[in-house]
Amino acid sequence: MPIFALIPGLPLAAFVILAVAGRRFGDASHRVGIPAVGLSFALSIAALAEVARNGALSIPLYRFLDVGELVVTVGLYADQLTVLLLPLITGVSFVVHVYSARYMTGDPRYRKFFAVIGLFTFAMTMLVMSDNLLVTYMCWEVMGICSYLLISHWAHRREAGQAATKAFLVNAVADVGLGFGVVLTFATYGTFNIQEILAQAPAMQGQTLGAFGFEIERNTLIALCLLSGAIGKSAQVPMHVWLPYAMEAPTPVSALIHAATMVNAGPFLLARLSPLVLLAPSAMAAIAVVGAITALYGALVSLTQSDIKRLLAYSTISQIGFMIFACGVGAFGAAIFHLLAHGFLKAYLFLSTGDSLWATGGHAHADAAPGRIRPLAAGSLLLACVPPLVLFSGPYEQLWNSQHVPSARIAFWVVALAAVFLTAVYAFRGVVSLFGATVGKSVQARPSLFSAAHLPGLAVCGIAVTALLAGVWSGFSEFLQPALGALPAETADASLTVALAVSLAVAILGWCFAYYCHLRPAAVPFARREWVKTAYVLFLNKLYFDEIHRAVAVNPALRISRWLLHQLEERIINRTVHEVGAGVREGARVLEGSAESGVIDPAVTGVARLVTGTAAWLERLAESGLVTRGPRVATNLLVRVSGWLFRVVDKPVTEETVPRVGGLADNTGETLQRIGPRTLRHHLVIIVCWLSLAIGLTYLLAN
Amino acid sequence: MTSLFTEHLITSLITVPFAGIVALLFVRGDVWVRRVAMGVSLLALGLSTALWWRFDPSIEGMQFVERTSWMENFNIQYAVGVDGISLVLVLLTTLLGPLCVLASWTSIASKVKAYMVLILLVEGAMIVVFTALDLFLFFMLWEVTMIPMYFMIILWGGPGRIQAGIKFVLYSLTGSLLMLVGILALYLQTGRSFDIQAMVGHAIPEDVQIWIFSFMFLGFAIKLPMVPFHSWLPDAHSEAPTAGSVILAGVLLKMGGYGFLRICLPILPEASVEFAPFILWLSIVGIIYGGCLALAQSDLKKLVAYSSISHMGFVTLGIFAFNEQGIEGAVIQMFAHGMSTGALFLAIGFLYDRTHTRMIADYGGLQKPMPRFVVLLSIFAMASFGLPGMGNFTGEFLVLLGTSFGGMLKVLLAMSGIVLAAAYMLWMLQRVVLGQPRASLESLPDLNAREIATLVPLVVGVFVVGLIPATLTTKLDSTVKNLLDRSPAIVQSASAPGE
Repeated sequence: MPIFALIPGLPLAAFVILAVAGRRFGDASHRVGIPAVGLSFALSIAALAEVARNGALSIPLYRFLDVGELVVTVGLYADQLTVLLLPLITGVSFVVHVYSARYMTGDPRYRKFFAVIGLFTFAMTMLVMSDNLLVTYMCWEVMGICSYLLISHWAHRREAGQAATKAFLVNAVADVGLGFGVVLTFATYGTFNIQEILAQAPAMQGQTLGAFGFEIERNTLIALCLLSGAIGKSAQVPMHVWLPYAMEAPTPVSALIHAATMVNAGPFLLARLSPLVLLAPSAMAAIAVVGAITALYGALVSLTQSDIKRLLAYSTISQIGFMIFACGVGAFGAAIFHLLAHGFLKAYLFLSTGDSLWATGGHAHADAAPGRIRPLAAGSLLLACVPPLVLFSGPYEQLWNSQHVPSARIAFWVVALAAVFLTAVYAFRGVVSLFGATVGKSVQARPSLFSAAHLPGLAVCGIAVTALLAGVWSGFSEFLQPALGALPAETADASLTVALAVSLAVAILGWCFAYYCHLRPAAVPFARREWVKTAYVLFLNKLYFDEIHRAVAVNPALRISRWLLHQLEERIINRTVHEVGAGVREGARVLEGSAESGVIDPAVTGVARLVTGTAAWLERLAESGLVTRGPRVATNLLVRVSGWLFRVVDKPVTEETVPRVGGLADNTGETLQRIGPRTLRHHLVIIVCWLSLAIGLTYLLAN
Repeated sequence: MTSLFTEHLITSLITVPFAGIVALLFVRGDVWVRRVAMGVSLLALGLSTALWWRFDPSIEGMQFVERTSWMENFNIQYAVGVDGISLVLVLLTTLLGPLCVLASWTSIASKVKAYMVLILLVEGAMIVVFTALDLFLFFMLWEVTMIPMYFMIILWGGPGRIQAGIKFVLYSLTGSLLMLVGILALYLQTGRSFDIQAMVGHAIPEDVQIWIFSFMFLGFAIKLPMVPFHSWLPDAHSEAPTAGSVILAGVLLKMGGYGFLRICLPILPEASVEFAPFILWLSIVGIIYGGCLALAQSDLKKLVAYSSISHMGFVTLGIFAFNEQGIEGAVIQMFAHGMSTGALFLAIGFLYDRTHTRMIADYGGLQKPMPRFVVLLSIFAMASFGLPGMGNFTGEFLVLLGTSFGGMLKVLLAMSGIVLAAAYMLWMLQRVVLGQPRASLESLPDLNAREIATLVPLVVGVFVVGLIPATLTTKLDSTVKNLLDRSPAIVQSASAPGE
């Protein structure tokens, strides 16, 4: 079905139109973006139906590269995994487009904004649809630059520029890992085609790569490289620092980044290559550890944040960590399920937050926000409870057993339940402290963006989708089965109910605890303990990751660069050039000295003197302070010579010669006139002229 | 007429700039000087495009070959011809020519005629270097390129121009004299002939090869430049006038890479294999070192100059990977780097015309007064750090793939150079483009139509190479294959992929 190529094609077309010929659209730029992405969304739904009916489909596009053994064909591949993500991406992007059409009204760079979110949508749809690891990597990078452009959208803000640079560079560091993985994959499998790689993966078990005396299995290394990419794009500890700063972007962009694009790329990539990842148990352990740490870290930091956008950012970090954790324990289906639910919810949360902030007129601190409590509360409730529950229903026991890590079970229960608990607490706390406590304050509210009719509609949409997904979890996992790594097929029904009950109970416990703390802050027994305060300060400052990055990576890089410039480049390399000149002169002086003592012929002395002189001159040329006289004289001479040349060539030839020749002709004519016609002299002159002409012609022809 | 033109296509292409110089001498008035120079360089571009279309990618070896005896006593010929590699570089040279003229349209106000003559001279000389099939011709025009560059730097350059010019000439002379020794040795070794094609496959004893290679290597390494022979480049690039920097960074550096591909690999294969590990590691040092130093710069032009050192490291990395991916990647990288870095120098030149400062600290918030400039500058900065979809990515990625067959550690180190590139470019953008504009910059005029017309062809070029690299690779395939097939020593040394 080649028509599905339009799913990434339409947003790309919108971007190209706006970027190249968009000036005439100006404030009507959304009229290009909205239909394109809307249509793309409709096609995504159609693709979902198509794949559900007929299974995976692939659409070859064009041959991108053909160099030796390397043949890269860009093509689209839509399987169950892809078509589940496509409606999320295009749907959220569509809503963001519609929303931005009003949110961004009056922005001086309205057109650029719509162009870039179009490109962003294209990159993400292409990322999930690509059948080829190289193209996936390219889209991965393009998304990075889109986020850069959107975060720096309000470029006059200093913080926006810094945040944008930070976001891209953190990602660039992490992407070295991914890029390395892509190259390594090609070096290992000789192809970039994902399906071919997955088909060959089991055969490559045991192939190793040696470096520094270590032997590491290639599949494991590839999986770790994928993890490295995911750590950057999906904001996992310790590369998560960019995501909170990404809030400098206009709020609809946050919805796009947190819900539809960017951060989802990590879990998607791991799920896409799950058959390969499953072959590398130690890499999976690393993935699980990173995910678990991030999930807990994000939740704990969320507890301490007071800016609603920051709080949501850390909640995203935590939730994505949860997904990566799920991938690490082999629950790819659950990760994707959570990804979808979280995506729709976060989009909804950000858009409603943006609505509130827009109403109060800015990037407000929590306490100033007015009450628009119900939608947010409902959203938070869903966020806290529903999606993670699915995680507990998977049949991972067999996987762990088969990989000889049954102890993962304990870690899984502890970490997952702790994350659910903390999520419930911070969500409740966020809702209450933001909207519950200070409703009374009178804030001059601007007209609402989304009329009241829109918000519940959106809420219902989100809830409906989530509920629908929750209801069909088993159908969902069955549907997704062909696209993922071979997991043990049967589900353990008995443990499912128990697990759901337990995790739901934990979530409710979290809510109750938060509510209790909120009602009676004084009564909480441990609130005044020293270690609690310390922990609070620590988490309030996000465990000082920003400062650590600055101290460990940014400053040393700059310091090393400056050191290299001042010490190595200027003191050693540049000076060597000068020293060579000095050395030549010194050598010549020695020669001259020995010559004067009478050992060598006086003729050598002359040569040596000459060399000395030349070397001294050379040195003087090379030494910066002394480079004045010789070259300047030469330059002046050259300037003068070239000036003279131009004068000679220009003036005499064209200015003086031509008039002179003209004058000559003039004189001849005058003479002829004076001679008068039909005299002897007249005829003579004419004969002479003809004769000379004839002789000249003969001479020319003869040669 | 048509057949004459077809048979002598390369000679016509070479003649155009030199005939243009003669024509310029008789043109009066700066306006017409500019127009004639523009016309001549556009004609050269037209001819090289014709060459491009007529080039048959399926033929291995040289095409459009013309040979005439020149100095028979020494067996010196006027011999020219193109293969895929030459073709790409000739196109790059003629593409940048008109853009240099256009960029100097108003910024050069004094001695316009001399300036245009120098641009055409260097363009013509470089076309000969890239098409010469005779080592003597190659060397002679290699030397000729130096002279116009020297005058461009010392006559129209920035405040430190004299020192930069002297340094450039001394370095280049040293390099080319060493190269001359190598060329003469080759002449004696291969039966007193300067014919490059005849030299290929001439069995030269390995110890002799190593000596010749070391001389050649120094010549090319200084031109390219490879660390630690690079210290002429930042001065020359930053002090040269805009068109000078564009020619230097855009094409002149590529002569070094071209020399490796045309002389070292085919004629001295055993020595190339011998030297390869050393050169590979030197390239990686160059990539990282150049990147680090670019990070520490406070001068826009120096930043771009050091970034060139870093990017040219990928060229040698690819060439000495000895496989098709690496070498084609190196050529694509040369082409893409010529366009993106040339464009960066053009853009910085336009900015300098307005403000007369190159210091990063003097700028900030340019997005407000100069939005069009900012869009173009950002595109080229992004191309420069290898954003996918743009030419440099294709080149660098192919080079990395080529390198991967020889060891993954090198790939990892070279990739960290890309991160450095992103860091210095984005940091530069942050300081120059983003933020609140200073009062003195508030009223800067945005780019005018002429300046945009100068940059837009390069935007198109960068994207074409990035998105449809087949335009270049189809022209290169058989050439590179031929190059490798004829050097069994090289093919044996490079392990096959997947191992």
